[in-house]
Amino acid sequence: MTQEDGRRSQLLRGVLDLCLLAVIGEGPVYGYEMTKRLRARGMSIVGEGSIYPLLGRLERDGLVETRREASNGGPPRKYYSLSSTGKQSLETGVEEWKTARDGIDRALDLVKVQVTP
Amino acid sequence: MTDFIEECRREWKRLGVPDPIANEMAVDLTADIEEAEAEGGSAEDVLGNSYFDPRRFAAAWAGARGVTAPATSVDTFAPLERDRHPWYRPAIIVAVAVFGFLTALAALALLVDGRSSAMVGPIRRIVSVPGAIRIIGPGSVMPPFRSFAGSSFAVQNSAPFLVLAFVVLLGGVVILGLAVLYRTSWPRRESRRRLW
Repeated sequence: MTQEDGRRSQLLRGVLDLCLLAVIGEGPVYGYEMTKRLRARGMSIVGEGSIYPLLGRLERDGLVETRREASNGGPPRKYYSLSSTGKQSLETGVEEWKTARDGIDRALDLVKVQVTP
Repeated sequence: MTDFIEECRREWKRLGVPDPIANEMAVDLTADIEEAEAEGGSAEDVLGNSYFDPRRFAAAWAGARGVTAPATSVDTFAPLERDRHPWYRPAIIVAVAVFGFLTALAALALLVDGRSSAMVGPIRRIVSVPGAIRIIGPGSVMPPFRSFAGSSFAVQNSAPFLVLAFVVLLGGVVILGLAVLYRTSWPRRESRRRLW
């Protein structure tokens, strides 16, 4: 893993729970569907690690609620939706992320990036 | 895929995850992998790098769900080792270990030198001591007791002493062993690395 990959991975680890809460906040969704949605938004690095342990932690912490629903011909799937605590956590987390991002932007905007062709 | 799920099941069983929860996780995982494969993908699309380490994946998932014992959970919010074990614990263990070691050593020394005149009652029989008196070493005799010393000294009375010394030695070894076992049974600080 290169230094750049390592940094991306570390950054993602810090906010992946927030991203998952955001996806779940759009409506009930099951595990693999979340992976696909995150990838569709450019978070292909999600493939470096499985989201299941993180989903387990969100469930244990009471940030998500689950229920089983029949799927198209397959076994019932476990659908995740936000709990009221999860909604609050998402809102707080987004605020924290924006504050952190703005600070980092102000620090990094001073750097003149020279792009070589 | 089947091998991966089976490996996870074995790990969950080893960790003591209740069967209903293990079944639920296995069913969810199977359904997701089957969907990925039906779309032309693979298990790696679902599991990422975890696909290559099913046991770690299974342990991390179960730990995150809180269905395994704390020692096997990968919990970054768990208190640090030093918080669970105050500073004086190691000092007590070291003291017990040193005591056990010294006791065992002393008992061993007494066993080897079973004729030590200081510990055994004198035989009431005067024997002349030929040659110079040795102060240090097996069979050494201190001046006040030299009149009691002799080649047959204490042989007939040493059996109870040897038994006692053996018991002390055994006790020392047991204390030492328990101290070492207790120390090694402490859970190591969990790695802060996790599978998200």
